Amino acid sequence: MDISVTTARLERSEDALARLALGDATAFADIVQEHQSMVFSIAYHFLHDRSLAEEAAQDVFLRLYRNLASIKSPQHLVFWLRKVACRRALDEVRKLPKTPPASLEDVAEPVANAQDSDPLLSRGLRRMVASLPEDSRAVIILRYQEELDLAEIARILGLPLNTVKSRLERSLGLLREKLNRWAGGAA
Amino acid sequence: MMNPLEDKLREALRRKAVPEGFSGRVLARTRELAEPKFWDRLNAFLARPALRWAAIGLCLVIAGSVAYRGRQERQRREGEMARVQVRQALRIASLKLNEARRKVQDINRGTPQSRL
Repeated sequence: MDISVTTARLERSEDALARLALGDATAFADIVQEHQSMVFSIAYHFLHDRSLAEEAAQDVFLRLYRNLASIKSPQHLVFWLRKVACRRALDEVRKLPKTPPASLEDVAEPVANAQDSDPLLSRGLRRMVASLPEDSRAVIILRYQEELDLAEIARILGLPLNTVKSRLERSLGLLREKLNRWAGGAA
Repeated sequence: MMNPLEDKLREALRRKAVPEGFSGRVLARTRELAEPKFWDRLNAFLARPALRWAAIGLCLVIAGSVAYRGRQERQRREGEMARVQVRQALRIASLKLNEARRKVQDINRGTPQSRL
């Protein structure tokens, strides 16, 4: 992600947190606006279902609302949101039946698709990511959606760095294998 | 060095746009959450020391007034009962006196009284 975008986002969050501390009721709405895409996308890439992802994302923001007093800085806010979004999505994944319904991916994603250079490949990859084991999925989503380094991922998931490294390598290997099979099948 | 698979993953896992009205729905849920329940509101209202003492004072005044009225009512009922008893006693005394007077008059008139 572009560093200037991230910095601007952090500045806006800092401003919203400061206004929140002063009792500005609109500040929470600004925080939601600022981070909704991140939280929703983490949940969506885990769950592969827009309505379940929305439910999970709403819960994350409600939890944030209850825990606003514990948020120390904009960086902490982003860290907290990522961590809670991952946990909430993991909880939801564990409640789902083992095979996700095939039709869910057919729901239109106008914004994302408009930017994809190869929408079919992107869709296939998202499906492959969704089929990874839950813990590996978390690593892949945080690494490639949020573009975090491995140490940060380890901190969010509460795992040793080496575990994150090995899960990432194993997941990439699996994805490469699936992609090759998929490309072979499509050809 | 960039790996083509990683680039493809970045593209596939780009952040998505949230469903329309998402933030509105979140804020509506926070408003529900923030809306205090009746007892919470009452507690918050009574949490102010001056109001707490005023409420305690009001409760004491009401309790005192109820007790006072109860005592007054009991006294009124006791008084009523005593008045009924006095009237009854006077009626009995009056009957006895009338009977005695009639007997005295009979004696004065020289009527023999077998019972006397």
